Amino acid sequence: MTGYILRRLVSVAVTFIIVSVIIFLMMHSIPGGPFDHGDMPLPDAVRERLMAQYGLDQPLYVQYVRYMWAVLQLDFGVPFQSPGETVLELLGRAWVPSLVLGGLGVLIGAPLGMLLGIAAALRRNSWLDYLASVVATLGLTVPVFVTSMLLILVFAVWFNWLPASGWGSPTHWILPIAAYATIPMATYARYTRSAMLDTLNKPFVMVLRAKGLSENKIIFQHVLRNSAIPMVTVFLPMFIGTATGSIFVEAMFRVPGLGAYFVTSIRTRDYPLEMALMLMITVMFCLAYLISDIVYAWLNPRLRHGGRKG
Amino acid sequence: MSTADTQVDQAAPPALELKGLGKSFRLKKGGFFRPGYVELKAVRDVDLTVPKNAIVGLVGESGSGKTTTGIMALRLIEPTTGEIWLNGENITALEAGELKRHRRKMQVVFQDSYSALDPMFTLAQIVAEPLHIHGIGSAAEQTDLALDWLERVGLHRSFGNRYPHELSGGQRQRVAIARALILKPDVLIADEPTSALDVSVKAQIINLLQDLQEDMGLSILFISHDLSVVRSLTDTVVVMFNGRIVEQAPTEAIFTDSRHPYTRSLLDAIPVLNPRHRRARTFRSRDELEADNPQIASGDLPDGPAPSDQPRLVSVAPGHRVEAVVTQ
Amino acid sequence: MSGERMTDTFGSRTPAAAAKPVAPVAAPETRQRSPLWYAWRRFLANKAAVSGGSALAIIALMAIFAPLITIAGPTEQIFLTSALGFPDSQHWFGIDDLGRDFFSRIVYGARVSLTIGFAAAAFSVIIGIPLGAVAGYYGGRADWLIMRVIEIFSVVPPLLAAMLLGALAGGGFWMIVFIAGLFGWVQVCLLVRAQIKAFKEREFVRAAQALGATPSYIIRRHLIPNSVSPIIVGFVLAIPLAMMLEASLSFLGVGVPPPTPSWGQMINTGMNFMYFYWHMAVFPTAALAITVLATTLFGDGLRDALDPTLKGR
Repeated sequence: MTGYILRRLVSVAVTFIIVSVIIFLMMHSIPGGPFDHGDMPLPDAVRERLMAQYGLDQPLYVQYVRYMWAVLQLDFGVPFQSPGETVLELLGRAWVPSLVLGGLGVLIGAPLGMLLGIAAALRRNSWLDYLASVVATLGLTVPVFVTSMLLILVFAVWFNWLPASGWGSPTHWILPIAAYATIPMATYARYTRSAMLDTLNKPFVMVLRAKGLSENKIIFQHVLRNSAIPMVTVFLPMFIGTATGSIFVEAMFRVPGLGAYFVTSIRTRDYPLEMALMLMITVMFCLAYLISDIVYAWLNPRLRHGGRKG
Repeated sequence: MSTADTQVDQAAPPALELKGLGKSFRLKKGGFFRPGYVELKAVRDVDLTVPKNAIVGLVGESGSGKTTTGIMALRLIEPTTGEIWLNGENITALEAGELKRHRRKMQVVFQDSYSALDPMFTLAQIVAEPLHIHGIGSAAEQTDLALDWLERVGLHRSFGNRYPHELSGGQRQRVAIARALILKPDVLIADEPTSALDVSVKAQIINLLQDLQEDMGLSILFISHDLSVVRSLTDTVVVMFNGRIVEQAPTEAIFTDSRHPYTRSLLDAIPVLNPRHRRARTFRSRDELEADNPQIASGDLPDGPAPSDQPRLVSVAPGHRVEAVVTQ
Repeated sequence: MSGERMTDTFGSRTPAAAAKPVAPVAAPETRQRSPLWYAWRRFLANKAAVSGGSALAIIALMAIFAPLITIAGPTEQIFLTSALGFPDSQHWFGIDDLGRDFFSRIVYGARVSLTIGFAAAAFSVIIGIPLGAVAGYYGGRADWLIMRVIEIFSVVPPLLAAMLLGALAGGGFWMIVFIAGLFGWVQVCLLVRAQIKAFKEREFVRAAQALGATPSYIIRRHLIPNSVSPIIVGFVLAIPLAMMLEASLSFLGVGVPPPTPSWGQMINTGMNFMYFYWHMAVFPTAALAITVLATTLFGDGLRDALDPTLKGR
């Protein structure tokens, strides 16, 4: 097991380095820098001085090594757009709304999805089952900004019950959380249902029924536990979906979170902010990948020595 | 059997000859910091000859290395040691292009007829494929010959545009035989071709193979664990155990005069239908059998080899070799 | 040669099995059915998939014959005097802020969305098949390398990377096709790889090898045709992903540049007007949702029909 975790750690670290290099190269290889942007062209001399000040005149690999060295000391530089604070300070401000909304969305959506999936599997071909299918398909296919748009149209525009955008009182939270929650809910409804059905169709369940165990005991003591393994694998796609969705949810509801800053940083070519956000996201995803791998291996001894994709 | 009526031509080079063939696999073991390998010897030092126009049976339990030997003879996996001779030519180290000419001369029928036929091909396409790969004839000629061959193995020409999943196991095995023989090979390696079939169908396939063998002068290496089939079909039997040959003899000698305990345990395992004739049977594990080497005094052997502590193949009668420890 | 016949062991020997068969059994009089025919039957039995497929077909027909069913081109600002007009009998979906017939824009938007979806899916398949085939057939180092590349792609969220790429490269139609293909091939590659890995151990592949067939022959003639199901599934499921990607990028303003009609773009504009001109937001949202949903249902149905073992994955 230790060997397995170490191998995964090394592999994830290598992946991270490769991704960071690619992102770095991508952002620097495209013509047009941060000071070419805007309506007022800067005089050449001023532009060169700014480039030198931010180290943009150095060869790329020097810039990369310098940058990564600084990052290790949590120095992500200063965002071009608001030089009054550091990137770190800005991120420190921005993660609060994202975490509150995304976290609550997952905490509400995932259990709801699981319940729906379990109910659907137990009452196959009932209206509950169809509801679960519809929710799962809609949630997994329709882009989250479309869901958000529909929520806004219905609850904010037509009924005028809730504010459509902003960040202040908890009433502002309801719609974005609902939009966020659709992703984990749909993911878990779909996979819980199929994992449950897979387990219910296994011969050992038939044996349990044959020996006269009550249906409740079969479900709660055997089926649910055996369905847990596939559900762990869903964690990663769910996490990616929710994190990506934050961009659109925050843009739609005008929430000052990480996703919103990601959009602005991309639109304005704000290298330090963009780079910091991308690195942060990559680290987050690498960790999620690692954790889901380890939990999966821990639950499933057969996989401890094989690879994840075998 | 190698009796007076045998047509085996002793002067010509044998159709297929395996010389000291061996295969070992490296298995990963150990952890992240101490990677290591264990070597698993699947096949060790196999000497085997299939004379022209003869059927040689290769028997042994599953895991004895008999299938691996067959697949190596076809050069589908590369042997670790040893040589493969086909019609007196060494094909062990031939490159793909050179080898392709020789592959026409040696074909194969597998056990699982379901997985042996491409589900997306029609039967005519399957049987014609060898011609296609070797670029023989026009497309129309290829199809025509393929349909002829379907008929020859007992299927109507109208089967030509059907798909494998529509056939029974026996019919699929006939198709596989047609595909193997359409190039008129000299050697056929039949890897348990009847093991997956019903008893009645099994007899039909065996008879078909027998007829075709006679017609075409085929040499067959017949790999099987089914001794009753082997007895009725083959001239010589080679017994493999734990990756090596432990006994080799003319078919009747194996059944009447076997010398190796493993061969005898295989013979004991043949079910006897009449309960009056039921033998007292004792189960013996692999390890027991492995430790039980027959001991033969040097003086009892025709060529009187020097004694040694290690078991090795010694000749006990013409064409009869057995693994034994030679004593004083 | 053994003179002994197997009569005693296995019953009487049939003459039909002789070298010159007397009475080969004729094939029964039913038409031959390839494995794909059964898949088609399974597909037709799936209501959701058939409705999704029909909806997709209708949308595709509307997109192809767009000039025939619309009253104006998608970029013609000929109704400026009644800009932002609500839907009526002439303008079914109303008029947008720049005086363009909104129904025309939505229909032409289907063109953009579908072409990007199909082009990106084709691109994914073109990259995914050879890589999946190589990884699956050869295994070893090639497989290791390709799997590591896939691992890198799975750590980078496609949408975020696409935004970055789109923003840096300035968006545009082909750029989006390229980006969608760049992230779409992974799925196709994994599906093809798994299928080829399963099939290369089959004995018909061994038989072809024993005939001296080259690896490329085996991959082309045997393994790829047997991977048709996962390839079709991969292709169809890549379409909605590409359409979503396009809509998302256009929504954020880094996708297809205006005035090319794109639903994502229209949703973005519609957001600013939704309190007073609801049609600006409702129609593009509905168009995108319906198209993506229909394509996904169609793709899911195809997958279930072509490979029952993949169901529910």
